[in-house]
Amino acid sequence: MAEVVLENICKTYGNNFHAIDQLNLSVKDGEFLILVGPSGCGKSTALRMIAGLEDVTSGSLRIGGIDVVDMPPKDRDIAMVFQSYALYPHMTVFENIGFSMRLAGKPKAERKKRVDEIAKTLQLTSLLDSKPANLSGGQRQRVAMGRAMVREPAAFLMDEPLSNLDAKLRVQMRAEITSLQKQLGVTTIYVTHDQTEAMTMGDRVAVLKGGVLQQVDTPKRLYESPVNAFVAGFIGSPSMNLFEAALTGDELMSGALAIRLQDAAFVRRPGLRSYAGRKVVFGIRPEDLYDSSLESGRKYQTIPAKVTSIEELGSEQIVHLNIDAVRVDSGDPDAVQDFGLASNAVAKFEPVSTVRSGSEIRLALDDTKLHFFDPETHLAI
Amino acid sequence: MTQHKRSHHKLKRAVAPYLYLSPSLLIIGLLMLLPMVTVIGYSFQNSAVLRRDPSFAGLKHYQAIFNDPVFWASLWHTLYFTCMSVIFHMTIGMVFALMLNSDRINPTLRNILRVLYILPWLFTAVIIAVIWRLLLEPNGVVNSILMQIGIIGSKVEWFSSPATALHAVTFANIWAGYPLFMVSLLAGLQGIPKDFYEAADIDGAKAYQKLIFITIPQLMPIIISISLLDFIWTMQVFPLIWITTGGGPIYSTEVLSTYTYKLAFSSYNLSQASASAVVILLISLGLTLFYIRYQKAR
Repeated sequence: MAEVVLENICKTYGNNFHAIDQLNLSVKDGEFLILVGPSGCGKSTALRMIAGLEDVTSGSLRIGGIDVVDMPPKDRDIAMVFQSYALYPHMTVFENIGFSMRLAGKPKAERKKRVDEIAKTLQLTSLLDSKPANLSGGQRQRVAMGRAMVREPAAFLMDEPLSNLDAKLRVQMRAEITSLQKQLGVTTIYVTHDQTEAMTMGDRVAVLKGGVLQQVDTPKRLYESPVNAFVAGFIGSPSMNLFEAALTGDELMSGALAIRLQDAAFVRRPGLRSYAGRKVVFGIRPEDLYDSSLESGRKYQTIPAKVTSIEELGSEQIVHLNIDAVRVDSGDPDAVQDFGLASNAVAKFEPVSTVRSGSEIRLALDDTKLHFFDPETHLAI
Repeated sequence: MTQHKRSHHKLKRAVAPYLYLSPSLLIIGLLMLLPMVTVIGYSFQNSAVLRRDPSFAGLKHYQAIFNDPVFWASLWHTLYFTCMSVIFHMTIGMVFALMLNSDRINPTLRNILRVLYILPWLFTAVIIAVIWRLLLEPNGVVNSILMQIGIIGSKVEWFSSPATALHAVTFANIWAGYPLFMVSLLAGLQGIPKDFYEAADIDGAKAYQKLIFITIPQLMPIIISISLLDFIWTMQVFPLIWITTGGGPIYSTEVLSTYTYKLAFSSYNLSQASASAVVILLISLGLTLFYIRYQKAR
């Protein structure tokens, strides 16, 4: 077990493309850190640099206090789980798990003992003689985990290990990996583009965009206090609604829309007063918007909205709306603008809501949950 | 649909695939099966082709060739020529394929090497034979280079000396045939996921361990398929040997193909030549069946 420290890590490719720019990150001993971000943000590159599969252009990288920048992967005392699992198809599960021990010249008896232990932990004992082609996706994933565990490394590196599984299995494996990590207590760095995985699995989450670290924090803090509009939009599903409005006195004004702000909003964000008479970006999460005709929404102020479409999920309804405000792009390249220009906001309503597509409604919003960002820099106010 | 219409439709569906196959079956039948059966027939006749009413000879011609020491020498030469060719085709093909697949070599150099390495494949057997006859002449380039660097003291008659002729033709055939392996193995190498090697790097595998534990097992289906095909094709090589040595000197490069040819067109003993051809057919057939069984097993 070990601490992994990245200091001013940069990765520049031949064509002067900066994949990673000045990355500073410290992963504590035994911590489960998630690297998350949209496609091409540099998260996999960062992980591969830690593994030694990519050269570091500049900066320092320490694992367990030892600078490993110039060390080959095998000497870094890490184990990696690949997105494709990288299981050797011509070897059995036993041979795959015990491969690193075989390379190290460990006697067969010792190999068998260790592989059996791991197979027991991962419930793979009955599959030890099978080839990967005869295993299900979840079983292959567990073999890949076993191969990483067999070496008792200082740190686990996982590169989107669940992305090849179907949705149900992914949820199950998410829980399995989390509990296994807690059980083993090994420092783990886990790369994903799925913000749900990021929020549910990690002790802390590092959000990357364009090779630059945006925020590293606990899932709760990321959700509640995003440092900029990108993090605000990236974390949470559906994404936070972001709009531009003018701050006039203690009201946010945009077209026919007026949202009254309470004094507490200014107390919590002293900087907000300086935006008086200017434009500001405000954000509200879909779960902080309510159907005003229901009990849950009665206590909040309302704004006019038109329902454009509804997704019934059983436990809740995802309601796409159009409100009189200009939507702001969070900067997430993977984000899809729902239904073109017809809707510019999303709300999560209770299943008992009776709103219908095409109807004009009063949308209740919890103004204590508003987030504010600078319209130029998109930094949180 | 009536009962009659339905059965008519069923019949049409059953016959259709055979109708599609019939042109190729007809051509194969006329150009391959018919000559093959005829040759088998000749091998049991006295004075086949030469006489209008040849008499039945039984196994006489087979007995004759099995009693002929030249036949056994040819069989041994064929096996040596084929085994050495296949082994070296594979080894050289593998080394060159690994070289061309390596990202340690400059991409421009790699492209140039790719063209150079594939060159032998572009020449017909006759041109290859002529090239090597010129190169291996007593006064040729090879002798002069080997003498200059001191490997040989006097000029060697590569194709004319019984001690070296078989090795020389085998060498020429190896040179001519490795590109097939190289191209096939290169395609196979490019299909091996990079993750396998990265996972092995992390696990601490050395270069030779990656070759043994990942590359070769991953290429094994290609290695076996191409080796079997190469074995079948090399066993039947004729023009290269015929043009370089003609099977001599003193039968030292006689292989089954040249032995059969000489029986047929030098001695005009077409019946015995047919028996020899049937022996080649049986050996090839055995290997082909092995190949088909292997392909099915995959």
